[in-house]
Amino acid sequence: MPPGALTDERDVREAYSAHASELYGFAVRSLGDSGLAEEAVQETFLRAWRAGERFDPQIGSLRTWLFAILRNVVIDLGRARAARPTVSDEGVEASVEPFDEALLSWQIEEAMRRIGDQHRRVLVETYYRGRPYAEVADELGVPEGTVKSRVYYGLRALRVVLEEMGYED
Amino acid sequence: MKTDGCRHWKEELGAYALGHLSDEERTSLEAHLEGCPACRAEADSLFAVSRLLPHADPERFGPAPQPPPELGKRIAATIGDERRSKRRQRRLRLGLGFGGAAAATAMAVLAIFVLSSGSEGGPEQRVAFRALPSGIKIAATLQPQAFGTEIHMYVKGISSGTLCRVYMRGPGGDEVSAGTFRYRWGADESAVLSAALDLSRAEALVVHAGKRTFVAPLDRGEATDSNAPQEEEST
Repeated sequence: MPPGALTDERDVREAYSAHASELYGFAVRSLGDSGLAEEAVQETFLRAWRAGERFDPQIGSLRTWLFAILRNVVIDLGRARAARPTVSDEGVEASVEPFDEALLSWQIEEAMRRIGDQHRRVLVETYYRGRPYAEVADELGVPEGTVKSRVYYGLRALRVVLEEMGYED
Repeated sequence: MKTDGCRHWKEELGAYALGHLSDEERTSLEAHLEGCPACRAEADSLFAVSRLLPHADPERFGPAPQPPPELGKRIAATIGDERRSKRRQRRLRLGLGFGGAAAATAMAVLAIFVLSSGSEGGPEQRVAFRALPSGIKIAATLQPQAFGTEIHMYVKGISSGTLCRVYMRGPGGDEVSAGTFRYRWGADESAVLSAALDLSRAEALVVHAGKRTFVAPLDRGEATDSNAPQEEEST
């Protein structure tokens, strides 16, 4: 068993307090239903615990591993829904593409939540709303150069947060 | 590398990565980048971030929903149940000739257990819950897997929103949790669950739906409403 394996209930509790809110936030975004999201998170931790002996922190982070399990859970849920109302679900292959796209979106949105308000604000105004820097500067009561430098430091902060979250290209 | 001379240029790099510089600004910045590997590298890493931005939805930058506080407790309780029944199972296996095995051997025993079950991917077994109150339908198929048993549940006719907890009853009456799902009328009538109990050892499939309990013995495939409903279903 690799050191750091997820073998007792305390490990699972720690994993839960570290990652449940992220997994849940993503599950809600991806499934669009808080009840289903709860079930998905519960199933994810149960599967993680059952397979805990196989978790090796040398290979990848706990977070990445939990998201990989959640991915399978969401796919199974999708299959179960697609197969409704019959019990047999042979031949139904849920697509994983929407999951991966949703995960990417969610990670960037989560990173945006974690950077400072000022940085997020200028990125929203200049990039997402496409507003001129001068206008944004005026509204914020700062020089245009400050908006520019906040855009720069905002992107840098975003990069750091994404790295912390374990984002890989 | 990080001289103050580059500071002005660096602060342009964000707008540059977002494509927000005027032609003039871009031309002079690019001239600087030609001769400054540090700024060039910084620009590249910012481009990597800016390429991700279109994937995000700015309407979703607000606070993310948080899991309800009882979810953690529910998971801990389910794991506790499962651990206790697993331990009983293991004790049972150890009692069958592996007595006194050290912790290290327990792993091997589990491996043997999995290998010897040998029924993975075997034929699925259909379970019919019979003698159900009128209007209620419950069915399941069970499939042996390496981890235990995969359960496909199908439920109809109980109150929408009812939480269904599914267990497999093993030898000696131990119940191994297979997970839960919430039944929603017209939406979530089926669910895929799994229990850490080998199908060949399972004696019954048990569904607790709200306050009702339904049991289907696996050998005969019959079911009874073992508890008289304490609360009428209001469908």
